[in-house]
Amino acid sequence: MSTAALAPARRRSRARGTATSCALARRQPAASAAYVAAVAFAALVVVNPVQVAILLGIVVGLLAASGRLRASLPYVRVALAVGLFLAILNPFFSRGGLDVIWQTDLWIFEITLTLQGLVYGITTALRLTAVVLAFALFNVALEPDDQLGLLSRFSFRSGLVLSLAARLLPVLSSDGAHIADAQRARGMELDRGTRRARATARLPLLGALLTRSLERAVDVAAAMEARGYGSGRRSQWLHRRPWRAADAALAGGAVLAAVALLTGLLRGAVGYDFYPLLDDPWAQLTDPWWLVTLVALVAPGALVLVRGRT
Amino acid sequence: MTAIAQFEGVTYTYPEAVRPALRDVTLTIRPAEVILLLGGSGSGKSTLLRALNGLVPHFHGGTFAGRVTVDEFDTRTARPHDLARRVGLVFQDPESQSVMTTVEREIAFGLENLGVASPAITRLVEEALISLGLSHLRHAPLAELSGGELQKVALAAVIATQPHLLLLDEPTSQLDPVSSEELLSAIRRLSEDTGATIVLAEHRVERCLHLATRVLYMEDGAVLVDATPQEFAGWAAGSRRELLPPVARLFARRLNGQAAASAADGRLPMTVKDARHMLDVVETEMPRRRKAEAQVAPGDVVLRTEKLAVGYERDTPLLEGVSLELRRGELVALMGENGAGKSTLVKHFNGLLKPLRGAVRLLGRDVGTLSVAEAARSCALLGQNPNDYFVRDTVAAEIDLTLENLKFEGALRDELAARIIAELDLAGLLQRDPRDLSGGERTRVALAAAACGDPPLVVLDEPTRGMDPTRKGELARTLQCWVADGRCVLVVTHDVEFAARCASRVLVLGDGGILADGPADEVLNGSLFFSTQVNRLLRHALPGVLHEDEIEWGSSAL
Repeated sequence: MSTAALAPARRRSRARGTATSCALARRQPAASAAYVAAVAFAALVVVNPVQVAILLGIVVGLLAASGRLRASLPYVRVALAVGLFLAILNPFFSRGGLDVIWQTDLWIFEITLTLQGLVYGITTALRLTAVVLAFALFNVALEPDDQLGLLSRFSFRSGLVLSLAARLLPVLSSDGAHIADAQRARGMELDRGTRRARATARLPLLGALLTRSLERAVDVAAAMEARGYGSGRRSQWLHRRPWRAADAALAGGAVLAAVALLTGLLRGAVGYDFYPLLDDPWAQLTDPWWLVTLVALVAPGALVLVRGRT
Repeated sequence: MTAIAQFEGVTYTYPEAVRPALRDVTLTIRPAEVILLLGGSGSGKSTLLRALNGLVPHFHGGTFAGRVTVDEFDTRTARPHDLARRVGLVFQDPESQSVMTTVEREIAFGLENLGVASPAITRLVEEALISLGLSHLRHAPLAELSGGELQKVALAAVIATQPHLLLLDEPTSQLDPVSSEELLSAIRRLSEDTGATIVLAEHRVERCLHLATRVLYMEDGAVLVDATPQEFAGWAAGSRRELLPPVARLFARRLNGQAAASAADGRLPMTVKDARHMLDVVETEMPRRRKAEAQVAPGDVVLRTEKLAVGYERDTPLLEGVSLELRRGELVALMGENGAGKSTLVKHFNGLLKPLRGAVRLLGRDVGTLSVAEAARSCALLGQNPNDYFVRDTVAAEIDLTLENLKFEGALRDELAARIIAELDLAGLLQRDPRDLSGGERTRVALAAAACGDPPLVVLDEPTRGMDPTRKGELARTLQCWVADGRCVLVVTHDVEFAARCASRVLVLGDGGILADGPADEVLNGSLFFSTQVNRLLRHALPGVLHEDEIEWGSSAL
């Protein structure tokens, strides 16, 4: 639990009826999940820096078209921070490259910055960002209830915990904000001084927030039991969305992209050698398997998102 | 007729509680009954409902004596989830009873738990959505719904399981009047269309007494009255008049004048429509306005807003151009529909929120130049949930914390503490943990914690939510005392009857600004919705009359 939950209360966003404004989330969960999995798989296996940059562009484009790019900023921050760290660190420990840009001695270390090391570091950072954003896209494309639905086939309890967390976290955040506002209104200084002083001032409020959370947890548990949870073998509601052409396009695109990627991987269409000299990054862009992958990833997503908007 | 549920000598005590929450309760619930369960906070209403679905004793533990049977199932052996197919319970707090994140999945959750087949779930979810007018929200995340919509979803989720017995535990206590009315209409339709057996615990008797076929009144864990609505009204007219709807109180006053016996037939009206019919019958005696008490003129300005724009986005403010003055000696009711910006506006009075444009001046100082803590000495704000205020272990420590925050010391600090304790009757609670108190007591303690520094402006946001009529009356008297002492009190409320009884001025927000601002008898007179039962009954004959205390019965014509 963080004191960030004790920021001033804000009105809950009110987008009535636009809950699933992301068109991907309105599609069959299995189709959306397969599609996003294919995007994540591509981000994981592709190594060529230009191809990685294109994939990153696709993921960012999908998030933007879903209207969730801003909501994904926390993911972007984490990915960029880690990626930047790797990009900076890698050139100092990787000596495989031949094109030396800069060399120096630091105590017992000999540091050699090479073009190859620099490009490898930047590519790794971009790959990490693409993978992290692909998982952000997973959260956009599949609402927690749908994730629960998919997970239920394997572990209902885990899915339920996920769903409850998604349901109660905003409530907890709102509770924290209200508690902090109430204390400010009775003269408690929560916003003055250093960051540490502010955190110290807010610490006693976490107890109240914890108490509230426990009370809520007990209430939810009572409500669940009253609604038959634990009464025996559950059924699962399956047919709430009929399969449509867009679902088939997503699922088909996912399968096609996966096959093309695997084939491309075996035929060296998405691989890349950084050391000792950089391969030509543009050479693979016209490889048919890569082109098939691109079309299979871009076309269904664009189709669903554009149709969803209109 | 076969009983759907039965209590036989049930006495129940919660773990670590000193007194039983239910005392020797014996009653029979028959099919198609609509039972209104009344009683003050802590009288045992919720416990009685929870005993009907087995949460008492299985979930809560404690000591249970006697027997509750539902459809022949003994709740001592049948667990709540075993009874879920027969008994549906809608809880008070809409936030704490939902599990999933979207509306249709939430409705399906209970059905999935009961093992209903997928095609049947599709049909039942659809029917529940349609019956409560929620189809347009089927994909909406619960986090984006209003309290009223959430509570309707909770009701939909319960009725989808088609229980034999539907229990509603103060389902409107967290809702504004419009949402409450919608929910109660849905309940009424359900009762009329399906013949469902319903037990409804409620405080707002004027909204539901006419829906009931039977009334149970609880006090201290025991069922004190078990009667038809008319019998109950007759009983309440004699000893608990605050439990009656305002129009019934008006006619009960007349019965008093006539020694009851000569009244039309001794009946009391439950609705404005009933009352209008009865007025036609008792033509010889008509209500007339009592001599009004002289109003005290308001004093100095405490707070002034200047062309204030409030909201969360500069381009789309919730309210724009709000200019108003609050003066000492005024008790102002701030009304308006949900989302009109009432709570947002008052959070600008002590600087909790910053204006998009314009300024707020508190005792002449720009609130923007003060910290919230500095503004707290001049403006106390009691938010909607009293629990937000409790961070210490005793009531005394809560009061002391505020006085310490506000830097009061020595004799003045002791004096202020003693004064608020006396004003809010907290002497007997000082060493109690505020979280262990009843709802009404918690509100009093939170009010003490917010307002113990004797600020000239006290703002209360929805203080009467979930409050029983007795507590409401006490709160009104306390606020009127503060105003008489020269403070200014502003109450954000949806409770028209409460506003009419205690406010001298009413502000109505809507359409991005102030819709009405004036004396209560002018603003509340003739409104379609923001009006009292008595006003709706008598507005043509006695314009400006808001509640029965302004009326006396006499032989002269209207």
